[in-house]
Amino acid sequence: MGITGADVAIPAAGLARFMPMHLLLQGDGRVIGAGPTLRRVFDGAALVGARFEDLFEVRSPGGAITVGEVVERAGQRFRLAPRSRVRVGLRGLGMRLADGETILLNLSFGIDLVAAVREFGLTDADFAATDLAMELLYLAEANAAVTRELRGLNLRLEGARLAAEEEAMTDPLTGLRNRRAADLFLERLCTARAPFGLLQIDLDFFKAVNDSLGHAAGDFVLGEVGRLLHDQVRAEDCVARIGGDEFVIILPDRTAPDVLAAIAERIITRLSEPMRFEGAPCQVSASVGIVRSPDFAALSPAEVLAAADRALYAAKHAGRGQAMLSGDRAGDRG
Amino acid sequence: MAPATTTGVEMDAFLLRSLEGYVRATFGAGQWQAVCRRAALTIETFEPMLRYDPGTADRVAQVTADLLGRPVETIWEDMGTYLVTNPEHEGVRRLLRFGGAGFTDFLHSLEELPGRARLALPDLDLPEIALRELGPDRFEIRCRWRLAGMVRVLVGMLTAMADDYGALCLIEADEAAPDRIVVRVLDSFHNEARRFDLALPAG
Repeated sequence: MGITGADVAIPAAGLARFMPMHLLLQGDGRVIGAGPTLRRVFDGAALVGARFEDLFEVRSPGGAITVGEVVERAGQRFRLAPRSRVRVGLRGLGMRLADGETILLNLSFGIDLVAAVREFGLTDADFAATDLAMELLYLAEANAAVTRELRGLNLRLEGARLAAEEEAMTDPLTGLRNRRAADLFLERLCTARAPFGLLQIDLDFFKAVNDSLGHAAGDFVLGEVGRLLHDQVRAEDCVARIGGDEFVIILPDRTAPDVLAAIAERIITRLSEPMRFEGAPCQVSASVGIVRSPDFAALSPAEVLAAADRALYAAKHAGRGQAMLSGDRAGDRG
Repeated sequence: MAPATTTGVEMDAFLLRSLEGYVRATFGAGQWQAVCRRAALTIETFEPMLRYDPGTADRVAQVTADLLGRPVETIWEDMGTYLVTNPEHEGVRRLLRFGGAGFTDFLHSLEELPGRARLALPDLDLPEIALRELGPDRFEIRCRWRLAGMVRVLVGMLTAMADDYGALCLIEADEAAPDRIVVRVLDSFHNEARRFDLALPAG
C-alpha cells in the first residue's frame, strides 16, 4: 500500500547468490528450485520435484502441513524442521509470486547456526555476503574464548587464595598448623557439639637445649618434634604448634580415656628418644594434659583449653614425662 | 609496580601475557625469570584479564630485547608470529581467519577488528587500524596506538596469517613512518591455505 516500486525478475543464479537457502515451489507444493546451501542440508538429495510436506515438518504456524497453508497462515515468519539426517531448526518467510501460483520461501538457520555449520561443513561461501552468520559465529567463538580465560583466571586466583589461606594457618618452622588454625578447628568442633579428645603438650628440658646448644639446635628439635607428632595422628586430626615449645593435638571422635592415654604415652616415649644435632645429643621429653569433650556440660574453647592447661600443670607437677587426664570432672563443669 | 586490578581489560595485559608465553615457549622458563628479575617485577605471571601499569609492556619487552641481545622490534614481531602459529593460541588464529575467505579479504577486515573485538569485550581498547589500497596487490596499513610495539606485533601476525592463507607476501614496517606497514601480495594462492572450519567440533 504505502510502498511503490517495480516488480523485479531475478535470474536463478542471482537468486542463489542473494538467497542461498531459498526454495521455489509450484502451487501444488512441488519444488522447482532450491538454493545451494539448502541443498547441502539435504545432503545433495534431489529436491526438484519433491513435495514440500515430504521435505519439511512444519513447526509453526500450528496445524499447517502444506506450503500453501504455511504461506497463507504464517503471516510473516514460519518455522520448519527438515526431514533430513541432521535435525536443525529453520525459520523463514515466504510469499506467492506475481503469477499467483509460484511460492518463494527464504530460509535461515536462526539460533541453530553453529550446529548447522558444524554438521554440514558450511563455509562463508555458503552464506550471502549480507548475512550476519559469520559475525554470529565469530561472536560465539570470541565469547567462548573470553569465558575460558575468565574461568582460568578464577581457578588461578582461587589457587592463590587457598595457598595464602594455607600459609596463614601454618607454622613456618614445623609445617604444623598454627595457633589460629587450632583455635578455628576447636571452635568448629565445639559449635557442632562434636565429640573429640585434646592433648596439650609441653616440651620438658627444651630451654636447656636452647641455652646449651643455641637457637639452631632448638629449632632443629622443634622441627623433629613436629615431624614425630605429625606421624602419630590421623589425617583428620589437627596438630598445631601454639607457642614456643607448646603443641596441641585435637582428635575428632576420639574420647576413650585409655585410647587418648595410649597416644599420649606413645608421644612421650618417642619424644624422649635422644636426638642429635650436628653430633651433639639433645634430650627432651614432654608433659601432656588430656581433656575429653564428653566431660564438659557446656562446650566452649576457652573452657576446654583452661582444663587442658590444668591437666598439663598437674602432669608437670607429678614429675616430667607424664600424661594426666583432666580428672577433676566436677571442677571442669562450667 | 602497582598490583593488578580488575577494572576493565587492557591490551597491555594481553601483550604482557603473550610476551611471557612467547619467551617461556621459545627461550625457556629460566630466561623469563631472568627478564622478570631484571625488570624488577614483583610477579612472574601476567593475567590477560587484569590491568597493569601503562608502559609496562614496552618496558618488559625492552628488557627482554636487552637480555636476548636482539632489537625490541624483532621481539614484538616474533611474538606476533608466535601468537598466530602456536597451537596453544589456536583461538587467535581462528578469530582472525573469520575476517575473510582469502588473505586480501582478511586485510580488508582489519579495519573491523576493533569493532569485532568489542562485541566480545566492550571495554577493550584496540588500536585504530586503517587500510588503503595502493594498487591491485599493494596495501598500506596505518596502526596508531600508545604502545610502540603494537605495529611490530601486527607485522608478525600479518606475516603468519599470510602463511596461514597460503599467500606469498612482502610485509614490512616502514622505518621512516613508525605507524605504517606496507603489504605486497605477490601470489594469493602460493600454497594451500591451512584448514579452517567455521565451527569447532562439538565438545
